Amino acid sequence: MAEGVRVRDRIHEREQVSPVFLRLKKISSRMVLYLILIAGAVVAVLPFFWMVSTSLMTLGETINRQWLPASPQFENYVDAWTEARFAQYFLNSVIVTLVTMAGLLFTSVLAGYAFGRIKFWGRDVIFTLLLSTMMIPESVTMIPNFLMIRGDIIPLPGGSWLNTLQALTVPFMANAFSIFLLRQFFIKIPDELWDAARIDGAGHLRFLVQIVLPISKAPILTVLIFGFIGSWNAFLWPLLVTTNATWRPLMVGLWTFVTEAGPQTHLLMAGAVITVIPILILYFLTQKQFTEGIATTGLKG
Amino acid sequence: MASTPLPQTGIHKSPRRRLRWADLREHLTGYLFILPAVLIIAIFGFFPIGYAVYMSTFRWRVVKSAFIGLDNYHKALGDWLGAFLFAGGFVLLFVTYLLWSKSTEIHENRKWILRIIALLVLAAGFVAISNGWERMIAEGDDDFLHSLPITLFYALGTVPAELILALLLAYILFQKIRGQEFFRMLYFLPYITPVVASAVVFRTIFSPRESSLANIILSWFGIKSQEWLFESDPINNIIFGTELQGFLAGPSMALVAIILFGIWTYVGYNTVIFLAGLGSIPHELYEAAEIDGANRWQIFRYITIPLLSPITFYLAIIAFIGTFKAFNHIYVMRVPSAQGTVDVTSVTIFQTFYQANQYGYAAAQAVLLFLIILALTYAQNKIFGERVFYG
Repeated sequence: MAEGVRVRDRIHEREQVSPVFLRLKKISSRMVLYLILIAGAVVAVLPFFWMVSTSLMTLGETINRQWLPASPQFENYVDAWTEARFAQYFLNSVIVTLVTMAGLLFTSVLAGYAFGRIKFWGRDVIFTLLLSTMMIPESVTMIPNFLMIRGDIIPLPGGSWLNTLQALTVPFMANAFSIFLLRQFFIKIPDELWDAARIDGAGHLRFLVQIVLPISKAPILTVLIFGFIGSWNAFLWPLLVTTNATWRPLMVGLWTFVTEAGPQTHLLMAGAVITVIPILILYFLTQKQFTEGIATTGLKG
Repeated sequence: MASTPLPQTGIHKSPRRRLRWADLREHLTGYLFILPAVLIIAIFGFFPIGYAVYMSTFRWRVVKSAFIGLDNYHKALGDWLGAFLFAGGFVLLFVTYLLWSKSTEIHENRKWILRIIALLVLAAGFVAISNGWERMIAEGDDDFLHSLPITLFYALGTVPAELILALLLAYILFQKIRGQEFFRMLYFLPYITPVVASAVVFRTIFSPRESSLANIILSWFGIKSQEWLFESDPINNIIFGTELQGFLAGPSMALVAIILFGIWTYVGYNTVIFLAGLGSIPHELYEAAEIDGANRWQIFRYITIPLLSPITFYLAIIAFIGTFKAFNHIYVMRVPSAQGTVDVTSVTIFQTFYQANQYGYAAAQAVLLFLIILALTYAQNKIFGERVFYG
C-alpha cells in the first residue's frame, strides 16, 4: 500500500515538474516511431513503384535508367497483352481460378459441415489426418502426382491429363485449411436452429443450404479469397503440367517470358503488373475480411 | 445431439430399430458429406507420400525399371556411417539442450555435473556432425548435400529477421498510432503479391547493372556496385575481404539477395498476426505495470514478450518449415552465374526431377527432405513448446 502511494506520488511529481518538457519528449518519441513506420512503408512499396515505372519505359531507358520514364510508354501494356500472349494466359488463369474456387467451395462446405455438425465413426481421427497434410512439402507430392496426372499410375478418362484444365484444377479442389476454417464456424451455430429445422422435417442437406449457408457469408468469403490467391499464384504445379500454351496460366506465362524473351525488361514488368492487378483489386475490396481471416486463423494455429 | 430415449410404447422393438436406422443414416450422411474432400486429399495429399517412398526404391528415369533397394539414398548421402554420424550429431545437440534445461531444475551440486556432461555431449555432437559430413561429402551427391547448408542459411537468414522486424512494427503500430490501418495495409502488400511476379521484379532490382535499385541504394552510402543475384562468392568474403571456405564463409551474395526478398515478403504477414496477438493481451496488465512504475522497456520485456510467446512460437514454426519448403521465388530468382549457390533442397529436387528426369532419385531426395522437416518440427515443438507461456 505504502509503496503504491509512493509511486503515485512520484508520478504526480513527474507530471508537475515540467509539463512542457514532457510534452516535447512525447512528441519527439512519436516522431521516431513514425519515422520507423514510414521507412518500413517505403521499403514495402518501393518495389511496386519500380515495377510500374519500369513497365512504362522504353527498352533503352530500362538499361540506362532513371527513376521515371521520360514519357510513359503505355503501349508496352498493349504489346505485353497481345504479342507476349498475356491475354491468353490471363484468360486461362481466370478460368482455372474460377473452376478451382467452385470445386473448393463445394467440397469444403460439405466436409466442414460434416466435421462440425454430424457425428460419425472415426470423425476426429479423419479430421486430424486431414490437418496433418498441411505440413507435407510439395516437393514430396509433386512427383507421384505428376505421374498420376500423366495417367501412369491409374488409367484416367481421356488418357494423359497433361495440358488439360482438370490437371490444373482438380488437385486443388480440396484442402484441409478451408475445411478447418468452415468447421470452426459451423460448430458454433446454436443447436436450437438445427432442432427447429429437424422438427420441420429438414435433413442435413436442407439445413445446410437453407439455414447455415446464408448466415456463413463471412467464412465462405474467406475461403473463397484464399482459394483465389492460392490458385492465381500457383506456380510449381502448373509449370509441371503445362508443356504448351493451351492452358498455361499467368504465373507460368510470366516465367516463360523471362526465359524465352531475353532482356525485354519493360514488357516483363508490364506483364508483372498485369498478374498483380487482379490480386490487388481483390485485396482492396475485401481488405477487412482478408486481414481478419489471416489474423484469426493464424492465432488459432 | 444425443438422441433422447423414446418412451416405451406397446409395440416391441420398433422404436429401437428406427433409432438405429436414424443413427446409421447420420453416419452415412457424414461419410457422404466428407467424401469429395477426402477423396481429393487422399489421392493428391496422402497417396503420394507412400508412392514417393515406393518410387525411391527403384531406378526410375521417366519409366520404372529395376528395383534397387536403398541405392538412391546411398547415392544422395554417399556413406551410411557418415549419414548416421551426421544425423546422430544433431540428436546429440538436442540431447544437450534437454540436459541443460534439466540442469536448471535440480540442486546446486549435481547441476554442475549435469552441465559438464551436457558440454561433453555437445562437443561429441559437433565432432560427429563434422566427421559425418566429411564422410558424406567425399562420396555423396554434391548437389544434394550442398543444398542442405544452403537451405539452413536461407532459414536462419530469413526467420529471425522477419520475426524481429514484424514484432517491432506491430508494437509501434499498436501504440494508438494514427493511420494504423493504412500502414498495416501497406506492409501486407508484399505478402499478397503473387510471388512469381514480385520475384521477377526483384530480379531487376538485384541485377548487377549499376542502375539497378539495389546498386543505386548502395551508391548513396558510397559503396560500389555489386553483382547481387549473379554473385556466387560468399558474403563474408565480400564484406570482410577474407578467403574463407565452407560454412564459415556464409551464404553467397546471390542467396543474401534472395533472403532479403524473403524478409520483404513475409514481414507484413507476421506483423498482422503479431498485431492481433497484441490486441488480445488484457489492458489491466499494462495498467498494473504502469502503476508499479515499470518503464516502457520493462513492460515490453516482462509483459508483452511472454504473453506473445505462443504466437511467436507458432510463427517461428510456420516460417521455419516454410523456408524448408520454399521453392517458387528461389527458382525464379536463380541465374546460372550464381553457380548453384542458391539451390535449396526443394530446388535441387525439382532439378533432379524436371531437368535430369531421374524420378526415383528425386523421390528419394524428397523423402529425405520430408524426414528432415518432420525431425525439425518435432525438435521445435520440444524446445519452444516448453518455453511458451500459455496465459
